[in-house]
Amino acid sequence: MVNRCCIVGCNSATHNRPLKKNGLTCHCFPAWRRDHGDQVRKKVENDYESLQDRLRTLPDKLSYDIMVPFGPLAFMPGKLVHTNELTVLLGDNWFAKCSAKQADALVEHRKKHVKNTLDDLQKVMKNFQNRADFTDDLEKLTGDTGDFADIREEVINEEEVTKGKPRLALKPNSKPKQEYLLELEEDKEKKEGDEERTTGVLSEEELWARLDELERQEELQDERYRLDSTDTNGEDTTSSSEEEKEADGGSDVQVNGHQKENGWVPSSITSQMNGTNGSHPEDEEEEDCNEEAGNGLPTIYFSHTAEFKKVRINTGKNTTLKFSERNEQKAQAKRKKKSGKSNGHSPHESYKITSPADIYRVFVDLVNGEPIPRKSILKSRSRENSVCSDTSESSTADFEERRAAFGRSWSHDDATHSDTSDGITEEESPTGTSPRTNGRFEAFTGTVIEKDPLPCSIPHLTIAPPALPTIPERKLEEVGPEAPQEPPKRMSKFKATRLHQK
Amino acid sequence: MAEAIHKKLQSELEKYQQLQKDVSKSMSLRQKLEAQLTENNIVKEELALLDCQNTVYKLIGPVLVKQDLDEAKATVSKRLEYINGEIQRYETLLKEMERKSEQHREVLSSLQQEYQRAQGQAVGKV
Repeated sequence: MVNRCCIVGCNSATHNRPLKKNGLTCHCFPAWRRDHGDQVRKKVENDYESLQDRLRTLPDKLSYDIMVPFGPLAFMPGKLVHTNELTVLLGDNWFAKCSAKQADALVEHRKKHVKNTLDDLQKVMKNFQNRADFTDDLEKLTGDTGDFADIREEVINEEEVTKGKPRLALKPNSKPKQEYLLELEEDKEKKEGDEERTTGVLSEEELWARLDELERQEELQDERYRLDSTDTNGEDTTSSSEEEKEADGGSDVQVNGHQKENGWVPSSITSQMNGTNGSHPEDEEEEDCNEEAGNGLPTIYFSHTAEFKKVRINTGKNTTLKFSERNEQKAQAKRKKKSGKSNGHSPHESYKITSPADIYRVFVDLVNGEPIPRKSILKSRSRENSVCSDTSESSTADFEERRAAFGRSWSHDDATHSDTSDGITEEESPTGTSPRTNGRFEAFTGTVIEKDPLPCSIPHLTIAPPALPTIPERKLEEVGPEAPQEPPKRMSKFKATRLHQK
Repeated sequence: MAEAIHKKLQSELEKYQQLQKDVSKSMSLRQKLEAQLTENNIVKEELALLDCQNTVYKLIGPVLVKQDLDEAKATVSKRLEYINGEIQRYETLLKEMERKSEQHREVLSSLQQEYQRAQGQAVGKV
């Protein structure tokens, strides 16, 4: 039975070419035809096998009595003679007379040829099959099925993503920071520089470098940290860093670095709600992993939700950034610890600390159940939005929001730090307390801190920052280990540190 | 204007179709030659298997004509060479036709664009 074309109206049995019939177009090789070649060759091989058998048995007798076909409908009895003489068609109208054995050899030769063709065909088929399989695999990989997942993080503010390293591709105009530029003229340049940051894995060393940068930034970007938002953790940091301007000019880079830290921190928090240890580099790595994982295929959209309070620590001179970065780490650790303890406010909210000022914002002492910002050692300008303790109502208001976002326990840490830093600055400029209140931080002076019994729980400084050259850092270090202690002890420690510094 | 373009388009289309047919014809001829090539190769090999004692016949029309084995071998070799030459010729011819058809295709597409533009203008005018 011959296979014919499946299309109704077309009776072709070949179809190895596009065929137009009766308005229909039959295209090459329906399924049955595809295997046809293979089947044909198999058939041919079988035929040759049976032929060989016949050839072997034929010379057994001198003549055979057979029924000879006589036309299409009749047979007649006859004899098969000369059983060993065969005329073989060699091909292309060539014949050869040979014996049965020779014919057998010829047949064998032909069989070999057919087999070779068959093998070649198989190879070709396998190749095509492999290609098809590969395409399927590729599709699976890139499709929504499979084990691969595409994790995407919508980054609205490029700054958030970038860390530490200047990214040439970033455009200065893409950042929402622009509005802040208006507020602080000095910050403009720096902000633009910030946007150039690139994302990178922040190693510990980089973190410290960033700290340096941030410190420089802080003085310049007091107002930024207030911004919020979702769209930019980075923005917050920049504003905070802006508030604390310093004469140093390298703040461009630092702002970004600061922001990036914040950007990393919130993302780390959002990604790890339950807090593994909050070491900053770990978070960064995790964030990196998150980001890196974005190349797969089923897409998981990941966004930073936490907005950190920015804490400003205004050293008034230098290395505020380091301070803040350490605080950030500490804050992170605390957050992780206290993720369950916060007031019901998500620990991630406003948690981003990208500048020392943020620390003041984040760490707020709780006095009698109310958050009181600690004394900030940051410059007054940077304290506008800070959570540093302040006698003014505005600062209290700020506290409220920050506290809401942050959580009391952290505020304690913050306060601790700020206290320490305030203590330091106080020593440096005992009269400067009031001016400092003008900044981001709700103006709070060291005096208050000293008197403040700090009944609030002692902030946990889970991160023991490495020794940094800056004074505030040192003080932090001192305070850090001491922080977890009871408030009354802390009081004494502050005093102790102050005395020590004196 | 549109009409003229339309006519030009039609003529170009016809030329292109003709060219396509030529291409396919040459293609099929070449395939036939390929088959003959394989066959003659087999014949050559099988002739090598035979010895002088076997008589070789060639079918010329309805007649089987006796041939010498060596002669047959030579004939087959010559035929093989001839077939190879033919295949080469067809190859070049095919390439040439392909190139020409490509040119025609481009002309056709540009004409088509022009025609559409003209039609658009005509519609606009109306």
